Amino acid sequence: MILELSAFLVLLAISLAVPTILFLLLRSSLNDLLRHTLRLQAGVTFYLRSFLLVLYLAALSAAIGTSFDLKPDSRFMEYVWKGAEGLSASLERTLWFVAIYLVLITVLVATLKVKDDE
Amino acid sequence: MTNERYLIVSYFVCAALAIALGVVVYLTLRRSFAGVAEAAPGKGLPSMLKRLLPCGLVLPALFGFVSVSYQSCDRTTYTEIVASRGYLVAKNQEQISSILLSILVAVLFWNLVGLLILRFANGGRDESKVRQMDD
Repeated sequence: MILELSAFLVLLAISLAVPTILFLLLRSSLNDLLRHTLRLQAGVTFYLRSFLLVLYLAALSAAIGTSFDLKPDSRFMEYVWKGAEGLSASLERTLWFVAIYLVLITVLVATLKVKDDE
Repeated sequence: MTNERYLIVSYFVCAALAIALGVVVYLTLRRSFAGVAEAAPGKGLPSMLKRLLPCGLVLPALFGFVSVSYQSCDRTTYTEIVASRGYLVAKNQEQISSILLSILVAVLFWNLVGLLILRFANGGRDESKVRQMDD
């Protein structure tokens, strides 16, 4: 029981750390891009907050969905493998949704840029 | 706590969590979305969009919660479902995961709405400028 809980908490911690690092890395450049494209400050805040939510929700939805319901006599490495499986799902989902968000932002920048150019 | 009692308590806790998460995401985006919605063309559209935002985040969260079924291939009856605590915990995890995923899709949908607002608000502004220049 303790091993299950520990494995789940480690997975949860890594799943929270990855979006945090990604957001900190991309925040300033995304902020600059949005400021350059949007005239509304509210729009910049809206898309930045949405990005943060997308990262956390994607990572946590996959991590929390991972069940550590293993047999009572399971060995340490079995928990590690299960955790790795959860982390894989979490990273995969994060990457997919970041890709969707990037497509959305690209469309936003492209359409508003075209309007400005006109 | 018996498994049956755990099932009842956890089910309603998850339902409350779905509503709470929807509300938290709404509160996070409320002000900035209101700013974007104000740029929408039309008289009633901005207020309509602002009123739709809470529904558009809480309802998907609830949808995510109710979309998880306790019945599966190997557990079809109520007795089989409540027999294992591990199975109930796994279902709760699945419910929370589904809630988060539904909210995520809803957030992306509202991002798309924001994109359309900004696109047409910009278009409207440019056209009016052109008209003023023509006058």
